[in-house]
Amino acid sequence: MNDLSTTSWLSDWRTFSLMLVVSVFVLYLARAYAHQAIMGLSRMLASIFRLAANASDSTRRQLKSRNREVLLEQGQEQVSRELEREFFEVSRFVQRDLGGYPQLQRQIQEEITHIHDDYQASGQVPAALPEWVEAVESVAKIKSSDNSSALNTKILEQIHQSAEQQHKDQLQQARQDAGERHKRLKNMTGYWRKLSDSVDEVGDRLKNIVTRSQNIDKHMLKFNEINNGSDSAVRALRASSLTQFLIAFIVVVIAAGGAFFNFHLIALPMSEMVGSTQRIGGVKVADLSALVIICLEMTAGIFLLESLRITKLFPLIGSMDDKMRRIIMISAAAVLLILASTESALAFMRDQIANDLASLRASLAGVEAGASGGVNEWIPLVANMTLGFILPIALTMIAIPLEYLLQTGRTVFGGIIELILSMLTIVLRILSSSVRQIGHFTIHLYDFLIAAPLWVEAMVKQHSGRLSPKNDHIHNNKKFPSKGSVES
Amino acid sequence: MKNNQKIKTNNTKRKGSPYKWRSFLALSFLTLLISGCSENGQNTSYSKGIYLLLDTSGTYTQELNKAQQLINYMLAGLEPGDTFAVARIDSGSFSEKDIIAKVVLDPRPSMANKQKRDFAATIDQFVKDVQSSAYTDISGGLLQGIEYLNEAKVGKKTIMIYSDLKEELPKGFVRDFDLLLDGFTVKALNVTKLRADNQNPQVYLDRVAHWQTKVAQGGGAWEVINDLDKPDAVL
Repeated sequence: MNDLSTTSWLSDWRTFSLMLVVSVFVLYLARAYAHQAIMGLSRMLASIFRLAANASDSTRRQLKSRNREVLLEQGQEQVSRELEREFFEVSRFVQRDLGGYPQLQRQIQEEITHIHDDYQASGQVPAALPEWVEAVESVAKIKSSDNSSALNTKILEQIHQSAEQQHKDQLQQARQDAGERHKRLKNMTGYWRKLSDSVDEVGDRLKNIVTRSQNIDKHMLKFNEINNGSDSAVRALRASSLTQFLIAFIVVVIAAGGAFFNFHLIALPMSEMVGSTQRIGGVKVADLSALVIICLEMTAGIFLLESLRITKLFPLIGSMDDKMRRIIMISAAAVLLILASTESALAFMRDQIANDLASLRASLAGVEAGASGGVNEWIPLVANMTLGFILPIALTMIAIPLEYLLQTGRTVFGGIIELILSMLTIVLRILSSSVRQIGHFTIHLYDFLIAAPLWVEAMVKQHSGRLSPKNDHIHNNKKFPSKGSVES
Repeated sequence: MKNNQKIKTNNTKRKGSPYKWRSFLALSFLTLLISGCSENGQNTSYSKGIYLLLDTSGTYTQELNKAQQLINYMLAGLEPGDTFAVARIDSGSFSEKDIIAKVVLDPRPSMANKQKRDFAATIDQFVKDVQSSAYTDISGGLLQGIEYLNEAKVGKKTIMIYSDLKEELPKGFVRDFDLLLDGFTVKALNVTKLRADNQNPQVYLDRVAHWQTKVAQGGGAWEVINDLDKPDAVL
């Protein structure tokens, strides 16, 4: 009805024209106030958006600063841990290897003494000239007569024989001495080798400590960079944090898959123990019990790794004295083993229930159940039991990626929120600027709607300006403030 | 010394009582929370109850072997906490005596399996020994099923009618009552076509429509499943 009446009303062109003229006139009269209202609204909205953008930017800067602090703190902690490990290795090396250095030195000294003695013993002493050579010469100088020559000849022959005999003995002795010297020289080779090995060993050990010292230098350099809060260190830490977060996330997802599989392994036998009709919040009590067992295993695993000081999720455990820590470690390991054994038994029970169910279904379907005792029966049974025992122990390792995930998650999520705030700031600034521009556009549109009276006004101004420009100017400024005056 | 002891005792009392009260309140709250969250499977909508009516009238007894297979299939699909009963439709079915076998499955799977075996054996014996009845009191059987499942307090209530749906009552039997089937699903299984139905199919259609109307008026849902080769549809 309303539409019809409006149409008929609009069809009346006279009324329409009249209304149009009246509207334009009213708009012309309200021009100054309308301009003020539009500009006021656009300014208000623009300032709201600008304030929101400033607040968002301020929060982003605070968050960025906080993220940076956290990142540097974590980096410092990580490098400190690495330095601690390197120093521990160096200390262990010094205690283990250099602790035996005096013994090694004594050993080398002994070997050198041996070598020196052998060297001394291997020297050749020249044989002394026989003392009877001068006697032979004297006999040979005696004047020869028949009787004496025969006697001389005999004496000389005897001397000759004695000399021959002595020569043989001397030769044999010389050979024996030379043999002994060679033997001593041969023995020296072993000592040389031992000495060489000992020196090489010392060299290798020193090489190891040199490598460690180089690592310590690198870590110290990194530590100093982090301590100075350099941008390159922050960038490196951020990249490292993101990589660690992704790796830890993937490992945690894999572990969650393992936990899910473990859950299904024990959910059915748990229904045999606690029944499968009771529910809490729509979830079967048997399922909840299985879930609780898995959670307990993971908790025991976390405590075990904490007491071993592998993870630092609970610093209190790590800072406990060794006796207390050992008690926690043994307790956690015992709980873990008991739960793993229980799971193995539950896996056995599961296999029995599954077999019973299969047998029932076969009998209900009128099919003969397969022959029992075959290979196919005990393989899944053993596999189930093994998995029931292994999976809880494997799940304890979740503490390591979980620690990384929690540590790096803080900076990664902080970075994401920082990015979101940055984008929000940009959007708010664009909105602020847009609202301001829309305000200007609306004023121009308003003036376009009342273009006719404005043109008349301009003509009147022009005409009256020729007559009395001063008065007219004052009058105009009073009644209709110009666009510039409104905007200012 | 005595004074000191008195002071100590008083202090202990002062300190001890709030802790005791707090512990008691915490324990009570925890108990209430657990008992509030805990739900018995038989009282909530998680367990299901099935009441199967078997027509034993006339030549329909020949169909019971198929029904036995169906029962075995349904038994295999039932879970601990579910209720299942099989009753015969004879001349006067509104009686507990017509219930052939009934079971509420034990929460433990091993015990539930044993119950299923016993149930299947009972049905097997029934199918071997069954004698056909002269009349077919479907309404009485339905009423008995409604009472049984309401008493069982199960979440999902289903009554299955394994029959040709032709009701024949002995003289003097009145079955003019409204069925209260709110929350029930009634499934007509293996609705065989009689000789008269072949001559005039409208008779068959009217018969099915009559029961559908009756069930719908009682507030229940109605289904007809004739293809028992797809037993998934039954459950």
